[in-house]
Amino acid sequence: MIKLVDIHKSFGRQKVLDGVNLEIEDGKTTVIIGGSGGGKSVLLKHIIGLLKPDSGQVIVDDVDIVSLNDRDLNEIRKKFGMLFQDAALFDSMNVLENVAFPLKEHTRKKEKEIREIVEERLRAVGLTGVEDKMPSELSGGMRKRVGLARAIAMHPQIVLFDEPTTGLDPVMTEAINELIIETQKIFDLTCVVISHDVQSIFTVGHKIAMLYEGKIIEYGTPEKIKMSSNPVLRQFLSGSLEGPINVI
Amino acid sequence: MNKIAATIDNFGRAILDNIEEMGRILILFLSVLMWMVRPPLKLRLIFRQMEFVGVKSIFVVVLTGTFTGMVMALQGYYGFKMFNAESLVGSTVALGMTRELGPVLTALMVTARAGSAMAAELGTMRVTEQIDALYVMATNPVKHLIVPRVIAGVVMLPLLTVVADFMGILGGYFVGVPILGINSGAFVNNITKMVDLGDIYHGLTKAAFFGLILSVVGCHKGFNTTGGAEGVGRATTEAVVLASVSILISDYFLTAIMF
Amino acid sequence: MSSISTEAKVGLFVLAALIILAYMSFRVGEYGFGLKKGYLVNVVFDDATGLEKDASVQIAGVEVGRVEDISLKDGKALVTLRILPSVELEKDVEAKIKSYGILGDKYVDIVPGTKDGTYITAGGDITRTGQQADIDKLLSELGIIAGDVMKITSSLKNVLGSAEGEANLKAIVENTRSITENLNRVVTQNDEKLNLMITNLGEASAEMRNAFAALNNIVERIDSGEGTIGQLVENRDVFDNLNQTLASIRDITDKINKGEGTIGKLVNDEDTVDNLNASLKSLEKSMDGIERYVSKSEQFKTFLSYRGEYLFDGGDGKGYFDLTIRPKEDKFYVLGLVADPRGSRTVTDTTVGATPTTRTETWERDELLFTAQIGKRFKDIALRGGIFESTGGVGIDYFAFDDRLQVTFEAFDFDSDRNAHLKTYAEYRLLKHIYLSAGWDDFISNEGRESPFIGFSIKFEDEDLKYLLGSVPIPK
Ligand SMILES: Nc1ncnc2c1ncn2[C@@H]1O[C@H](COP(=O)(O)OP(=O)(O)OP(=O)(O)O)[C@@H](O)[C@H]1O
Ligand SMILES: [Mg+2]
Repeated sequence: MIKLVDIHKSFGRQKVLDGVNLEIEDGKTTVIIGGSGGGKSVLLKHIIGLLKPDSGQVIVDDVDIVSLNDRDLNEIRKKFGMLFQDAALFDSMNVLENVAFPLKEHTRKKEKEIREIVEERLRAVGLTGVEDKMPSELSGGMRKRVGLARAIAMHPQIVLFDEPTTGLDPVMTEAINELIIETQKIFDLTCVVISHDVQSIFTVGHKIAMLYEGKIIEYGTPEKIKMSSNPVLRQFLSGSLEGPINVI
Repeated sequence: MNKIAATIDNFGRAILDNIEEMGRILILFLSVLMWMVRPPLKLRLIFRQMEFVGVKSIFVVVLTGTFTGMVMALQGYYGFKMFNAESLVGSTVALGMTRELGPVLTALMVTARAGSAMAAELGTMRVTEQIDALYVMATNPVKHLIVPRVIAGVVMLPLLTVVADFMGILGGYFVGVPILGINSGAFVNNITKMVDLGDIYHGLTKAAFFGLILSVVGCHKGFNTTGGAEGVGRATTEAVVLASVSILISDYFLTAIMF
Repeated sequence: MSSISTEAKVGLFVLAALIILAYMSFRVGEYGFGLKKGYLVNVVFDDATGLEKDASVQIAGVEVGRVEDISLKDGKALVTLRILPSVELEKDVEAKIKSYGILGDKYVDIVPGTKDGTYITAGGDITRTGQQADIDKLLSELGIIAGDVMKITSSLKNVLGSAEGEANLKAIVENTRSITENLNRVVTQNDEKLNLMITNLGEASAEMRNAFAALNNIVERIDSGEGTIGQLVENRDVFDNLNQTLASIRDITDKINKGEGTIGKLVNDEDTVDNLNASLKSLEKSMDGIERYVSKSEQFKTFLSYRGEYLFDGGDGKGYFDLTIRPKEDKFYVLGLVADPRGSRTVTDTTVGATPTTRTETWERDELLFTAQIGKRFKDIALRGGIFESTGGVGIDYFAFDDRLQVTFEAFDFDSDRNAHLKTYAEYRLLKHIYLSAGWDDFISNEGRESPFIGFSIKFEDEDLKYLLGSVPIPK
């Protein structure tokens, strides 16, 4: 179980997280929604220890990872898989090597075995015959899917998805959502998904959290969220310009 | 009044920043040492960096070495001619190359070629979150990215320097003997008489230090890049400048210690 | 290329670089490698100035080892040599410290000993050492020269003792007679002019007196065995050689004395007269040849000069003896000796316990000082640099009136604890070989050594020397 307790984070004078409290249940998919630039990616990076909060605790399986040293943090991280918003593929490696990377790093599997796993994961995200391509030769959507394949390559306990479906066509979006739901179910994963796509939120999420002005302002099941009368949430879900969220 | 205070303030901050940066480079170096001895050694990565730093630098180093030797021979010739000591051109070129120019020029060329590339590569990886991705995959980027580069730098620089030394002497010979008409026997004998093994090995020791400096500085600048593509560019420039300056300054102290 | 793996490329490069390194190391380290196996030999020098670790050890110019270590032992320099294993040193080899050229590095030269099958073993000592200090070398060479002079005189003795020699002598007498006849004629015809010349000479000799007083001073000191030249005269070998030389000269004069009758006999002998004529002819021819050769190498000139200076303050005299070699019109070298009665100064600083430093000044009087300069002339200006009175310095000469007048400025002895020695003077050519000079010596001295001076000098060119030599009969 992951528990965020009163997380504060500022970059310079800009306060991004202002007391976030959130519990992420094991074996469930939690979707975090919020405005662009609202601090969702920052929040996600706190969960895996890439960023340290100015104050607050990040508890993963009863351990506060904020004060952990590098070695212990590494052990915790082995439970995680993460898809970055921009995929973060290694551009010195081809697709095959990218997806195989965690396998090579942390397992003693043979080359051939690894190759089979990689091909299987790539097929799962709808990619075939791209093993030898370099990341720079891929489209944005393809990169995202390779990143997804890499994130789930090790079948980690917890997977963090930063906007897995942004930039994909509707059919592919649906396929990826399906993939997340499937793998989550099969392996009983704990998933944290950041998404803007209202349709996906409700198909994928068991729990949904709304991040606004550095705080979680609403948390609950999709049903609860749909019924919520919070004006911010209402405006966000309806995509209207009228409301408390000031864009322009 | 405020302006003056601000200037002093900025000045003090700049000094503090520099000290802080030196400290961070030192810490990076120490963690490189620590990770270097922790198995497993990623031989493949080391080899790839060795290829990049070493094999792919051969051409520039050969070119620089040869022409430096040639120029030294030419310059030395005009000087020594006044004393009818043209045959000393050979040993001048050889001593100059082995003790000073071989290591320093090689280091500067490799800094420009590979040190900058290290900063750019790591900088890009930093701003595109590839370094974060490494952390996420429980792989220490110092071990995965920096250790191989530093090892390659320390190992390859002396070897490249050997090539530069040799090509420099060859270039000097080419200018001195067939073109300027210095007696070839005297040319070679003076080299073997005046140049010591120590000259060569001290030069190579220097080169290893330079390799360490350029790779650690390059990696440090790249690793701590912020600010997108522009930041990568800045990191690259800073890496080349800082590494070159450090090489030249440390050259003085290394020379003072060794010779 | 793409088929070659990264590892192979790196491997190939490393291998190639290591081969080059091994090759270079082998070439420059031939001795280095071998020497680590070489054996050590000790040798004690009185003075190892300038010798450095790793300096070469040579036999007959071939390197056989290196200086391993230099340390102090009983106030002397203990030098440890590492000798190549393949080289054996006889028990009585002699080790000397020599240098490559004047400015070159020092090295240890080993003179092989007698081949009696006994060799120095590792860790052994070379017991015979030679000090190759310059002045000693000069002295030992002077001994050789004296020997040569003796040889010449003895061959002269032979020449003059023979019939041919007597004929030559006869001719010389003849020539002398005709010369005196000519002189007579000249004198009667140029009575007036000669009178003038003689008065001139009188003046000149008055001036010469001063200079000779200075010279006398020097000679006296030499006589009393002070200074280097004094020692030179005291040197047993040289002295013996000189003695022998004088003895042979006495021999010759004796012979001539006795041969007077023989010369009278020869005057009436037709054969001898013919021989004499022939030999004089061939002499003429060879003189012609020499003349042609000399005109060809006209540019190359040698000057020999002596200058005496009388310093008003202190009443001391200073003497300069210089050999100037001018291989080209605009280039010259000066080698010389300076007899400075005030000599050179050595300062010794001693600190005893907590008491402040005591400074002892020792004046090495009567010391011979050296001159060794290189110069270049640009039209009316000549620049000189090198050794002035045994210290480093520079000088500039300005020439006017077809070189009759020379104005000189010199600066040398740049010691940090006293002012530099500056000297300026003008020299004027009075007669063909006679010069007068006046100037100011050491004029910014902070030790009260500044003094105006006047001087007198004699200069000979090789042209003059040629005539001097050419008029001496050369034995064949
Ligand atoms: N390393 C950083 N340094 C400084 N500021 C940062 C850094 N990372 C994020 N920020 C700032 O924090 C804020 C939140 O960024 P974040 O990436 O979390 O937004 P987001 O909610 O993921 O937006 P989007 O939906 O567009 O991805 C932004 O204003 C951003 O400028
Ligand atoms: Mg984001």
